[in-house]
Amino acid sequence: MAVLSAACATSGQTPTQQADQNTNAPVTLSFWSTGGDDETATFQKAADLYKQKHPNVTVKVQTLSWSDAYAKLLAAATSRNGPDIISGGMTWTIQFGARGAMVDLRKHGADSLKAQALPAQWESAISPDGSVYGVPLDMSTLALYYRTDLLEQAKVEPPKTWEELTAAIGKLKAAGVKKPYSQDWGNLDWIGYFNYLYQAGGSFYTADCKPSLNTPQAEQALKYWVDLYREHGAPTATVEGADALDTGTAMVVAGNWIAKGLDVNKPKLKGKWAMTTIPAGPAGPTTFIGGRAIGVTSFSKYVQTSTDFVTFMYSDEAITAIADEARKRNISYIPPRPDKIVNGSVFTPEQAQVFEAAIKAGKAAPGCPGWDESAPDVTKQLQSAILGKADVKTALAEAAKIMERNAG
Amino acid sequence: MASPIPLRGRLRRYGTSYAMLLPFLALFAGFLLWPLANSLYLSFTKFDGINPAAFTGVDNFVQLASDARFRHALGNTALYVVGSVVLGTLLSLGLALAFNGTGWLHRIMRTVFFLPSVTSSIALMLMWKWVLYPSDVGLANTIVDWLGGNAVAWLATPGLTIPILVLMSVWGGMGYGMVLYVAGLGSIPQEYYEAAKIDGASTWRQFRHITLPLLRPVTTYVVVTGLIGAFQVFEAVYIVFSQGANTIGGVLDSGLMIVPYLYDQGFTHFRLGYASAIAWVLFLIIFVLSLINLRVGRAMKEL
Repeated sequence: MAVLSAACATSGQTPTQQADQNTNAPVTLSFWSTGGDDETATFQKAADLYKQKHPNVTVKVQTLSWSDAYAKLLAAATSRNGPDIISGGMTWTIQFGARGAMVDLRKHGADSLKAQALPAQWESAISPDGSVYGVPLDMSTLALYYRTDLLEQAKVEPPKTWEELTAAIGKLKAAGVKKPYSQDWGNLDWIGYFNYLYQAGGSFYTADCKPSLNTPQAEQALKYWVDLYREHGAPTATVEGADALDTGTAMVVAGNWIAKGLDVNKPKLKGKWAMTTIPAGPAGPTTFIGGRAIGVTSFSKYVQTSTDFVTFMYSDEAITAIADEARKRNISYIPPRPDKIVNGSVFTPEQAQVFEAAIKAGKAAPGCPGWDESAPDVTKQLQSAILGKADVKTALAEAAKIMERNAG
Repeated sequence: MASPIPLRGRLRRYGTSYAMLLPFLALFAGFLLWPLANSLYLSFTKFDGINPAAFTGVDNFVQLASDARFRHALGNTALYVVGSVVLGTLLSLGLALAFNGTGWLHRIMRTVFFLPSVTSSIALMLMWKWVLYPSDVGLANTIVDWLGGNAVAWLATPGLTIPILVLMSVWGGMGYGMVLYVAGLGSIPQEYYEAAKIDGASTWRQFRHITLPLLRPVTTYVVVTGLIGAFQVFEAVYIVFSQGANTIGGVLDSGLMIVPYLYDQGFTHFRLGYASAIAWVLFLIIFVLSLINLRVGRAMKEL
């Protein structure tokens, strides 16, 4: 089947938006949540709580798996028929919004959430033109997970800076640890470079969205990152964080989502691992923050009610309900409100403090025009440098060219 | 070929048959012809899947001609097609010659080799993903470890991407070709071989001058279907080699093929018009190559 099944072009009319009056007619909202079934169950808890408060509103949460969520949402947007509420990658709501498939939540009073959200993450959720097609639903960030037993044997302290990281790798190697270091989230990918770039004081774009990879900071960062692979033996093939620790990797940079499940999925590791913030660079400890965005579709019949539910997801009680269920299911949920990261978190106090520190120093993906288009190609340039097919300078110049071209 | 029977007569004679065909024809038209026509139309438009399509003439095709990533995908696909079709056909024939008997051992071996063809490709790809999983978790690296070697980054070494894709394709497809060849071998009359033996032909000459020429229709079929399938490789790239959300095609695009690129353009960049254009270019390539193949097959027959 080489033929792309063509979808009928829509007539391009905006559907008549019914204002949902506050009648008590029963309303059923559907919420397509990108992630796993367990995560869906946590959001369903918040939805059930919402129903207790608004007996006429039922919210049904359904799972979309990461692998095909985007295509399913696109199909829904094309046929203008589908869920009222969607959640997915941080930039998805922006992309669907730019094409008229999402509602600008500012018009429905969700702007109030800005004060509760993390500024850096909020920035990356809003569109370049200021529209709010989606708001952060949760956060994800990185930490350095390490094997306490292996570090002790080699008499190595968990590294706090770039220099300490490479020194620690050397010491571990000398002590006979075969796999001193690996990266899971962001390995060979722009997200991995992001941390080093910002920690060196660089950035992908300037504040006014001019591509800015032609800087000494960007070069210093890429050089350090490439050396981790080429000089210090970080593996280019991505091993899932929990597997890496389990198979004897001493230090692993991985996402927060493995924290809760480690003891359960890898019982042998129990008591043998700990975590800390990723090593800081010359300009500081900036860490990448991702997460999911949640928004309301423009073809929803109940825009106001849906927006109200999205707003409810930021309330203390909703966050508590989600966290309680997440704790039961070993899901590493980090709420979109920074003031809620430690207080009532699903993690141990020590872990929660690591994530809080990471998020305090956090930056999110660039929200500049053309970035999404450029990201895969920029990644390819970074890979050229890592695999020794181009030198650091050339790779960055090429990446900058691509960004210039797409900045439009 | 004009039909000798006038239309009215035909309707009288076959009316019931046509009536019975109608439901199928309706489905055929609705789910194949209409989407086909629509995608052809879309390939001349700029269409983001949500807003109405805007007619842009041959813009998409002009852009494709200068699209470096598309050229890369074409080059990769060409290498992959040659590798998997040549190896796959040779191995299919080899297996058929080895296991074309009626004994139970041959039957079991045929079943074993045919199994991948009837297994869900998604399941197979997930299995390969585990085999090739990096570090010493994956089966391949466990074996390398036993042999005393160092773990290989199977999925992050650009030079290995296409060989691995070819290996997966050949492993999964040779059983199907084998079954076709076994049927082909069964249809060759034994008398030919007996006559050749009497004339003193060696086994090799029998194979070269009887078996191979008489299997030509099967070979043509195996090559053409293999070609069509190989050009449309998708799952292997998408499941085994894509890392993260937006890096379809593996490290350095080393596994970027036409259909994954089409998917990437259509479903992650909202360029459905462009993706349709890619689909039609792919159709043309496959169409021309199949035509050449069939011609060559026929020409060889006449020699």
